[in-house]
Amino acid sequence: MGRAREIRLAYLLLAPALLLLLTVLAYPVGWEVWTSFTDLSPLKDGSTSYVGLANYGRLLAGAEFWQAAFVTIAYALVTSVAKLALGLGFALLLARPFRGRVLVFLAVFLPWAYPAGVSVIGWYWTLNPPTTTAYAPFMGQLKFVVDGAFGTGAWAFVSVVLFNIWRGSSFIGVLLLAGINAVPPELFECAVLESKSAWRRFWLVTVPLLKPFLALAVFLSLTSAFADLANVWMLTAGRIVFPIIGTHAYFLAIKAGQFGPASALSLTLVPVLLGLLLVLFRYFDPPRQETA
Amino acid sequence: MSPRPWWSKLGHGSLILLAVVYCLFPIYFMLVQSLKTPEEDVFGNPFIVMNPTLENFEELFERKSEVRGFVGDALRRSYPFVDWIANTLFVFAGSVLATLVISVAAGYALGRLRPPGFRWWRRAMFATYVVPQTILFIPLFQVVQALSLDDSMLALLLVYPSMALPFCVWMLSAYFQHLPREVEEAALIEGASRATAFFRIILPMSRPVLVAAGIFTLGTIASDFMIASVFLLSPQNQTITAGLGTFDVALDELAAVAGVNLLAIPVVTISAVFARGFVRGLTASMLEGA
Repeated sequence: MGRAREIRLAYLLLAPALLLLLTVLAYPVGWEVWTSFTDLSPLKDGSTSYVGLANYGRLLAGAEFWQAAFVTIAYALVTSVAKLALGLGFALLLARPFRGRVLVFLAVFLPWAYPAGVSVIGWYWTLNPPTTTAYAPFMGQLKFVVDGAFGTGAWAFVSVVLFNIWRGSSFIGVLLLAGINAVPPELFECAVLESKSAWRRFWLVTVPLLKPFLALAVFLSLTSAFADLANVWMLTAGRIVFPIIGTHAYFLAIKAGQFGPASALSLTLVPVLLGLLLVLFRYFDPPRQETA
Repeated sequence: MSPRPWWSKLGHGSLILLAVVYCLFPIYFMLVQSLKTPEEDVFGNPFIVMNPTLENFEELFERKSEVRGFVGDALRRSYPFVDWIANTLFVFAGSVLATLVISVAAGYALGRLRPPGFRWWRRAMFATYVVPQTILFIPLFQVVQALSLDDSMLALLLVYPSMALPFCVWMLSAYFQHLPREVEEAALIEGASRATAFFRIILPMSRPVLVAAGIFTLGTIASDFMIASVFLLSPQNQTITAGLGTFDVALDELAAVAGVNLLAIPVVTISAVFARGFVRGLTASMLEGA
């Protein structure tokens, strides 16, 4: 088959994927960008007018945005560090054979495999039980203490963080285990001969070898944390006292009917994530030489 | 190497124990709750169940709006739970299948046929993950309406594959790219068509990666709550996720937790069966130059 035909076939096979992504993303993203320059609102009569960068300007001038940005960054950092640490721990534990390893592996895999769309409902009720349940007084106390120390809503925020870490560390653990399996075992054996200190081996051998997988894990973990709306929304039952950018945008759009500012707000995440992704691509999708 | 001392073994063992407890405790807790009678839920120990009962599960299926107590049936809604199960099966199976077919085609195109700039195609698709989903469902709902798919499960069949697709394409194309040329060359030389070579040789040997992509897709779509509950409005069209979201916290706690488990059991079973394949597939797609 000629090269020209090969290329045509390639585009033909790519078409369904591109068409799907265009349908689901192109118009919505375009809408969001356009809306961020307007004062579109379902609550307002009359025509929508173009307001230029006013939405962005007001956003950057307001204290709310910076608070939301701060909480978002803190949330993303805390969850990502915890998920990476725990995930790496799981992967290293499971890398060596021991009796019952398969069962432990399944246990580590479960938090991710357990359908989060519903387990978040279970979490919510576990952490905020109806007042009739036996442990409700205890949970109430806990909530009272945490909220008292850090402000109202802190307990709900903590529960979101815990859920995100619980589920994310499981996925990262499995991903990194796959990464460790991809590294030829001789490399680790050589490392044992080279250095006696497990700590040094970890930083000088394990981490560099796993770099592509760590980069991929960081990206997936950050995007899930930044974009994490449903979980926050669900676990805090709409009482957003610690707004992250996602929930704040949702609040602006749905509760306040301000589509323009809400679009501008959620678009502020894009450049940050895109920049991050371009940096991380260097690690997990390097422009490698052809293998064939 | 010398045998490890007892304290090292003990440390390793207790770390494993900790990891297992940490991972399983929330799931255990939800399971225990779903097996409780209302009496035990109020007066019993929260960590164990003395008289396990399946009544919460039965209630999901049998609940009609019978009057109970003095509040009347206003508070005892009935749920078309059997419909929800059927809808969920349809949506999940359809989405996984669609995602696999589309991403295998795209992955093969990018990894094997390598049109000019294939690396950037792949990166561009992966970059769709940076788009925040937050309020995207508002314009997305317009798209769904324009296609007259509102309040239809087909809307989820459109949206769900797009959520898992970028990662699956990335994984599959990396895998196909790493397969040596010789794999299909022999068949091509003997006169087989590219399609034959693909279905006879490449596809069968890609099973672990396909499993990995499938499990990833299942995990991704099973974690959605927003899309399902925003797009599916009438009770008979809802999936389990969307339906459970409408439960009232204080009144239906036990039944809802039972519903959570009912969805979790099949999803977890499927994932567990393929769990090792999942790791193997991820590894295969990541091996450099394998």
